[in-house]
Amino acid sequence: MELDAFRSSVDRWLDEHAAALSPDHPGMGTLDQQMAQLAKVKRLAYDAGWMRWGWPERVGGLGGSTLLRAYLGEALTARDLVESGIYSLTEVLAPTMIDYAPPELAAAMVPRLLRGDETWCQGFSEPGTGSNLAALSCRATLTDDEWRITGQKVWTSLAQYADRCVLLTRTGAPESAHRGITAIFVDMASPGITVRPLETMHGGAEFSEVFFDDVAVPVDRTLGEVGRGWSVAMDILPFERSTALWHRGAFLNRRLEQLLAAAAAGALAPAEVGEVFQQLYALRARSRATQHRLAAGQRLGPETSVDKILLATAEQGLFDLVGAGLAQDVLVGDDVSSERWRAELLYSRAATIYGGSAEIQRNIVARRMLDLGADR
Amino acid sequence: MNDQEQELFRDSLRHATVAHTAEALDAELDDLGWRDALRADRRAAVSTLFELQGRANATSSALDTVLATALGVDPASTAGVVLPPLGCCRPPGRVTAERLDVRGMGTAALGRHATAVVAAEVGQEQVTVVVDTAALELRPARGLDPTIGIVHVVGEGLGATTRSTTAPTAWTSAMARGQLALAHELVGASRTMLQLARDHALERIQFGRPIAAFQAVRHQLAESLVAIEEADAALGAAWDVGSPLDAAVAKAIGGRSARAVARHCQQVLAGIGFTTEHPFHRYVRRVLVLDGLLGDARSLTRELGEGLLRTRRLPSIPPL
Repeated sequence: MELDAFRSSVDRWLDEHAAALSPDHPGMGTLDQQMAQLAKVKRLAYDAGWMRWGWPERVGGLGGSTLLRAYLGEALTARDLVESGIYSLTEVLAPTMIDYAPPELAAAMVPRLLRGDETWCQGFSEPGTGSNLAALSCRATLTDDEWRITGQKVWTSLAQYADRCVLLTRTGAPESAHRGITAIFVDMASPGITVRPLETMHGGAEFSEVFFDDVAVPVDRTLGEVGRGWSVAMDILPFERSTALWHRGAFLNRRLEQLLAAAAAGALAPAEVGEVFQQLYALRARSRATQHRLAAGQRLGPETSVDKILLATAEQGLFDLVGAGLAQDVLVGDDVSSERWRAELLYSRAATIYGGSAEIQRNIVARRMLDLGADR
Repeated sequence: MNDQEQELFRDSLRHATVAHTAEALDAELDDLGWRDALRADRRAAVSTLFELQGRANATSSALDTVLATALGVDPASTAGVVLPPLGCCRPPGRVTAERLDVRGMGTAALGRHATAVVAAEVGQEQVTVVVDTAALELRPARGLDPTIGIVHVVGEGLGATTRSTTAPTAWTSAMARGQLALAHELVGASRTMLQLARDHALERIQFGRPIAAFQAVRHQLAESLVAIEEADAALGAAWDVGSPLDAAVAKAIGGRSARAVARHCQQVLAGIGFTTEHPFHRYVRRVLVLDGLLGDARSLTRELGEGLLRTRRLPSIPPL
């Protein structure tokens, strides 16, 4: 299916099914409510076929360009039907399964994620391993036909809801750095896993600490080759910085328009409004070009750090403007709309921290794009 | 143009802009068929030439040609075009009682042409008037960038050689095309500034290692590349969409991005970049003046914001 035809069909379907798709809760809802809404929308979109376009047929998709799924996420986000961050996890994790899981495993699992039957999480960061991912120490040891995993992860988004986890483990010597990492697909119901949600400053518990105590995982759940987990991680990160950002940009544009509608006369400085619009425009332009490169089969790499930097700048710029233009709501408002502006403003502070901090993104640009050599 | 043709075209233009400037570059552009390319594939012709011209710190009459074409003047006729004054995109001419008054700017090429195109307001209408360049007072602007060759243009009570009523959108469309061209030139100049700063950071040894090893320096260079990529992406979308609003956004982003690149790279180049022995200063001068032409970033951004606050709605944004 071509993008234009897909676009008009999806728009028509969304119009026709607006009542069935819309959230049951007012405002942004709790994380529980957002997760229920996400599952409902994915299920309806999957059953209608839309959620399957842009994914390969061997994992239950209907084929076609990846632009189709980029558009679907944009449309769902722009209509406020899903929260873009939790929706986009699919865009990050499904491609990894498709590229690295044994084909039967990918074929069995990916449809469950697309249909909203399951939630998956991504176990990367550890207490001692934030920006320095290659230093991770969560240990996996191979015994006969299974891995035994012991260690801890943190900042694991949606772990408390997750049925599966794409987990990075240390399988080489402790000092093997990026050469001794293996990616493993873990059932979160396995004995020995404890999840402790972390309450964030913007409200809700989006991420958790996850503890692994001698957790057994069959060896056929290995993603890619043993000791080659670093390349799995390196392939995931550009997805975090491509389609997910396209969806996030659609969300930010919608919120800018809502800010324009909500702010009192004189509350917003024209120059600041103009600049935020331009930042969102640049993000959209960049992310759009990235989507077209992805659709053309190009391999995404370090240049997606530019996309992430533009996202973080634009998101914080927008919510700084919200803080100025809707100060009354943000500071002392107690209705659901104020709560939402407030939560999103606080969440925007994380845009320069999660998914590779602002500093790490600039390190990547300096090392990989400008070829400045080692920094020490 | 197919990919291979575009590559060849780009190579020829690169040689031309590196080796020549001003009249000599114009002659080269004629030999290379740039005007034909402009007619056949405006995007490729404009984006390629202006970025390279910016990279090389060269000047040419290409902006006049782009604007003249948009105003309906045959590009083969090689007329100059009077630019609006700084910070303003209103037509530079006014016609009252059949007499034309002109207040504007011109490129270095304006004086080399026998005739000049002046977009003028007649009450609510817009007209395009062709005048003898000799009838205009052209005064070199010895300002921030002496080599760009910008001139002040004044004309009072001129009679018109020819005059034609143009569509009200012609001037807007000319400004939009000019803004895209200038934004490409800003991106090109920014790329050279970054290249100069990068080379310096890798060569300059302090505390026993290249300063490129220090994170504060690396991040300033990274920041510069992000700003350039941002401007380049905005240009790509603006060409795809093709509206005047998109062109103004791309020009504003290009201007702000180039100023950021100039600031970061100046800091990395430090002492040597502050001398006239190093070429960096030419690029700082150039981008500040290019930002000022056909709407500077600050004014365009404020006007954009004023428009958004009037309608309280987002204009259409580039589709996937």
